[in-house]
Amino acid sequence: MTTKKEPLAGLRVVDFCWVGAGALVTQALALLGAEVIKVESVTHPDNLRLSGPFRDDRKDLNGSGYFASRNSNKRSFALNMAHPDGPAVARRLIATASVVTSNFRPGVMERWGLDYDAVRAIRSDVVYLAMPMQGSNGPHRDYVGFGSTIAAVAGLVEPTGLPERAPIGTGTHYPDHVPNPGHALVAVLAALLRQRRTGVGAYIELAQLESTVNVVGPSLLAASLGQQAPRRGNHADEAVPRGVYPCAGHDRWCAISVVDDRAWSALADVLGDMDFGADARFATVSSRRANEAVLDDLLASRTMSFDAWELASRCQAAGVAAAVVETASDIASDPNLVARGFWQTLEHPVMGPYRVGSLPFHLDGAAGRPTRRAPLLGEDTDDLARELLGMSAEEIAACRREGVLQ
Amino acid sequence: MPKGLGDPLEGFRVLDCAGPSGAYCGRLLADLGADVVLVEPPGGLASRRHAPLIAGESGTISCFDRFVNLNKRSVEVDLDTPAGTALLRGLLASAHVLIETVDGPTRWPGIDEPTLHECNPSLVRVLVSAFGTQGPYADRSSDDLTLLAAGGLLSLGGYEDTAPIAVHGEQSYFARSIFAAAGALVALLGADAAVTSDVVEVSAQEVIANALEDAFPEYDLNGRVRTRRGERPREAGTGTFRCADGYVAMVAGRLGTAKAFAALLDWINEAGTEGASELGTDRWQDHAFRQSAEGIAHFTELFERFAATRTKAELYREGQARKIAIAPVNSPSEVLADPQLQSRGYFTPVADTNGVLLTYPGRPYRIDGLGPFCRRPVPAVGEHNDEIATELGLGVTVPAGQ
Repeated sequence: MTTKKEPLAGLRVVDFCWVGAGALVTQALALLGAEVIKVESVTHPDNLRLSGPFRDDRKDLNGSGYFASRNSNKRSFALNMAHPDGPAVARRLIATASVVTSNFRPGVMERWGLDYDAVRAIRSDVVYLAMPMQGSNGPHRDYVGFGSTIAAVAGLVEPTGLPERAPIGTGTHYPDHVPNPGHALVAVLAALLRQRRTGVGAYIELAQLESTVNVVGPSLLAASLGQQAPRRGNHADEAVPRGVYPCAGHDRWCAISVVDDRAWSALADVLGDMDFGADARFATVSSRRANEAVLDDLLASRTMSFDAWELASRCQAAGVAAAVVETASDIASDPNLVARGFWQTLEHPVMGPYRVGSLPFHLDGAAGRPTRRAPLLGEDTDDLARELLGMSAEEIAACRREGVLQ
Repeated sequence: MPKGLGDPLEGFRVLDCAGPSGAYCGRLLADLGADVVLVEPPGGLASRRHAPLIAGESGTISCFDRFVNLNKRSVEVDLDTPAGTALLRGLLASAHVLIETVDGPTRWPGIDEPTLHECNPSLVRVLVSAFGTQGPYADRSSDDLTLLAAGGLLSLGGYEDTAPIAVHGEQSYFARSIFAAAGALVALLGADAAVTSDVVEVSAQEVIANALEDAFPEYDLNGRVRTRRGERPREAGTGTFRCADGYVAMVAGRLGTAKAFAALLDWINEAGTEGASELGTDRWQDHAFRQSAEGIAHFTELFERFAATRTKAELYREGQARKIAIAPVNSPSEVLADPQLQSRGYFTPVADTNGVLLTYPGRPYRIDGLGPFCRRPVPAVGEHNDEIATELGLGVTVPAGQ
């Protein structure tokens, strides 16, 4: 029965996704109660299993913290797809599932006989998600990329930074972490809704470039009318001053956005300098805009004597939008995240205890918490072969000897 | 087309009262075939006036509005009038989903929580929030910049010798909207038998905190805090590099790209780049050296010398032919000219209600059976007051402002 706690209970997903964006899509499905079977291989392990970070830097195929952060609540089925019998086993697994996901370059699933038409022949109502980098056709269909290069092509990097310096983007493979898994999740859920209502499945192609381009949408529309998006640092039309200001201590910063004259006067009070608030150069939005660089420098000279947390709290108490620039260390103990139970600690045989984030949306406060650690490579192979494929212990042993199951 | 295939959200009505931070949620649901109705206070929702703004002959255009409000309808409701209140109550009764930000309808005059429940006990309410509605930061003020700070992503952006710098385009608004749409769909999927109201709450801080890549596990497992590195490459072969007409982004040598790094060295060598013979020495096979300050600086000098006479487009074409993950750092106007996107028919020109022609990027995914990309241009505020009042059997109302 479907419950609010696990809205996708009863749904089985055969998941060929690996590395970045795809793994987050299926982790979300798993956290919502779906049974997600990660098909992976010892011969060609998921790069995230290889790339760490590892506890105390001890490299271990089963010990990557990065892998663990994207594969909670999944089961691992180790299948050698390069073996001639591999694809046949995959097809038997798919026959038991209603969703099939992958994020290989175009041609890989086809080579295994697992393209949409082939899979639909096994499971007519399947929801099939493919996440090629640039799409399954077009002159760049075989181009290789990563989150950082896709962000560059999509126009997200160039407008980020200071005008006199190089463009910088987020400093991460951002498309892999938010727009691409997020959009893919929306598409799969919408297709599942249609599947439930009509009994008809879906072919979903999320080209990672096309998905990422959407989060630059307003600037693309502006560009189509001839308006560019210059690099402006932290400045923006909605607020002035708007910036990240230094605080006491090493590399500590507070982000502050002043949206109107009331907030400006409140900020001046917080900084304890009434003359500053009364300065005619900063009295109105337009005068603050005209003197923005001077204003930023003056603010920085004032904020430096404040503890960042203290400054953010005082700004908030005065109704000014402000927040400490939190590092990974700060985030781990952030009072709001901790109070909301965002971080869950799971026990892992290789890593020991580790923390992983919850889904960022909550249905009546229930679903979406990681409850089972990421699987070891092939941890569930035997169980799944028995439960889903009806294989006997002898058959399983034979498949292992042959190197089909791993 | 198989029987029964149609828009996934056909037949669902969504009321969209979201401010800019949640406006893209409704756009996603509208693209999937839901009847998304903007419920706007007199003068329109804040998304109508949100940057980027362009002054033109027929007034100022908000490109944000034009992007996030495509495929939606609009009613303008004045809750000081009986007609306005009746229209809102009728809409609430007929809807499946309500999208709200902090200033949603339950804070509007005459529509409190009990009224909302009375109008429609099975309504799915999607609360697009900054910090969640429970917790010590629930009432905090925020914008995109402060949210990126509170979620940790801002600490990874910016140059080493400057303050942290936020990514372009109010990503925390898009991020929370995308996951809000996912949350709404989960509620609809789980609502088969539900009679009581479902609340889906999205926290932008949590969306962003999930986007820190390996920075969180690196701290969690080893206590190391990753910081911003700006334009400094992550290692030899991986980073952003200057070329003849701008910059290229590249990943070569890490994450399973060892062959690409070898191909990259060959490429620089074959071009006869001055000093490139150095790249044949053993130390370039040593990953630790390639991650050292010396290795990074030396590689960057050689690569940028090589790239100085080549354009982004040339490097993209030839590097990709060599299976190297290299890509141009495109401005938004260069994105509009991208050959791949062009060849896939990705862009659609749409005339807005004032006749201004805008070029839209396509949907983020392709799903078989989806209707046309543009179902209707962005509506004028209150454009569908009469149409919807008639649909609801309320007779014709007089739109505010007329």
